[in-house]
Parts: sequence; structure tokens; C-alpha cells
Amino acid sequence: MFQEIVLQLWKSFPTFRGESKITTWMYRIALNTAISGLRKLGRKIKTEELDEYHFNISESPEDHREDDLQKLQWAIRQLTEIERAMIMMALDEVPYGEIAETIGITQNNVRVRMNRIREKIRNLIR
Amino acid sequence: MELDDLKSIWKQDKPGFEPKKEAEIASMIKGRSNSIISKLKRSVWFELIFTIVCGIVFGVYALTLESGALMWTIISLIVLFVSYLFYYVKKIVLLNKFDSSTENLKNSLQHLSERLTTYLNFYKKSYAILYPVYFCLGLLFGAMERGIDDFLHRLSQPKTILYLIVLAGIFFVCTILITNWYLKKLYGNHLDKLKELLNELQG
Repeated sequence: MFQEIVLQLWKSFPTFRGESKITTWMYRIALNTAISGLRKLGRKIKTEELDEYHFNISESPEDHREDDLQKLQWAIRQLTEIERAMIMMALDEVPYGEIAETIGITQNNVRVRMNRIREKIRNLIR
Repeated sequence: MELDDLKSIWKQDKPGFEPKKEAEIASMIKGRSNSIISKLKRSVWFELIFTIVCGIVFGVYALTLESGALMWTIISLIVLFVSYLFYYVKKIVLLNKFDSSTENLKNSLQHLSERLTTYLNFYKKSYAILYPVYFCLGLLFGAMERGIDDFLHRLSQPKTILYLIVLAGIFFVCTILITNWYLKKLYGNHLDKLKELLNELQG
């Protein structure tokens, strides 16, 4: 996937007109390649349910941090592809304006969706 | 839990992105794209070149023949190949329009969905036209084999007419069903997925 994105960036670079930030343009290509690119379907990503063991195993603060990260990663995997893309951008400190431009929705819509995603994650890792 | 809390969790122990070396990037951009669109384009180009080569070989062979059923069979095949060339060119044109990677996600999904629908409709229509052509060619070769007079005599009998109608019906229905099943298997799931994503964005 990484190579495919690099290839698409390389092929599309001549069409970059500087109308948007280079990072927005790069996110667009990466997202379009990852989400809307034609690919073989039918094979579902295998996800594993976290049980009590996964949630209670840690003892030290360091282990807790590790656990929080694992829980967050697991929760993100439960989201839809679009929600996943949005939260990943937000976690990477991409401003809402840039997320809106990349996805093609309004900033208000981004804000509403982000609230919903945050709520969803909170319920998942509670 | 606020977004900032999630960000702080996310940043814990997160290994930083290691910049790729120049040589590594260079080798990546030299590679071939493995997207289904690129694969489709490559296969259509292969079919196009193969058809041209076969057409030339058959044409040269037909020139060495004086006349007769074989020569007309080859000429009819060449005519069919020419129609296929237009078909392949149209397919390549449609596939070239698929690139919407620089648009925002919503527009990209919308355009991909529209173009894939157009592509599939074109695919279905072209086969719906080509199958009757194959059927008529089969009849033509049968007529050549038996002799035109004998063929026309048989064709005037109600039993033969009924037999041909039933045969044409079965042939047409089976081929359309197979084409639809094949297209649904190859692209239908993806089209559904694109529409599902688009609905989520529009909802």
C-alpha cells in the first residue's frame, strides 16, 4: 500500500497546481488510493475481540500506557473506513479545515463527525 | 475522553516515521502500479495488441487463399477483430478517465462510482451486441457448410425456425446471465462498496 501511494504521488505530482497545501494534496492522494482504489474484496480483515484479560493484564504505569495505546488502536479498527481516516488525521494534528478539504465536507460536518467518533471510541474502550 | 486525551495516548511509544532512503523511494516509483485499474489497463492493452497481431496474421493467410468458405470465414473473423479494436480503444479511454486521485475523497468516490457504472454498462451492452453477432456468424458458417440452397430450404421449415428461436433464446439468456454474474463478481462488490462509502459521507 505504501508503495502504491508513493507511486500515485509520483504520477500525480505534475498535476499539483499549488492551490492547496502540499500536505492536503498528499493526504488526498493517500486516502483516495487507500479507500477508493479498486482492490480485491471479499477478504475481511480479521479482528480479535478484546476480553477481560486484555483489559486487566497491566500492572505498572508503563504497562497501562501500553494498554491504553492498544485499546485505542483496537477501537480505531472497529470504526468505518471514513471514520478511521478522519480520526487518524485528527490524531496526526491535521487541522479540521484541512480534514474538511481532504474529505470534501464542511468544517462543521467534520466537527460533528469527530464528536461522534470520539463518543464511539469512548464507548468502545470504556 | 477528549480528543486531546486520545492524541496524548496516540503519541505514547509511537515509533516515529522513519524517512525512506532516496534509493528506496527511487525503486518504489520504478515499480508497476498494482491497483486493479492499472491491471485492467495492462490486460486490455495486451488483448488489443494480440487482436491486431492475429488480425494481421489472418489477413496475410486470407490473401494466400483463392476463395471458398475458409477465406470468407477468415474475412468475417477479421471484421469481428476490427469491431473488437473499437471496443478495446473505448475500454482504454474509459479506464484512463478513472484517475480521480487528486480530488477530495467525496468527489473521488462520486466520480469513481459513476465511471465504474458507465464502464459496466458499456461492458454489458457490448456483449449484448456481440453475442447475436456470434450467433449469426454461426448460422452463416452453417449455411456455407451445407450450401446456401439447402440451408434456405431448411430455414423455411417451421420446425427449423422454432429450433433456431429456442436455441437463440437459450444462447442469449445464458450468455447475458454469465456476463452479469462475471461482472458482478469482478466489480459489482466494489461498486456496492463505493456507494456505501459515498452514502456514509453524504449521510
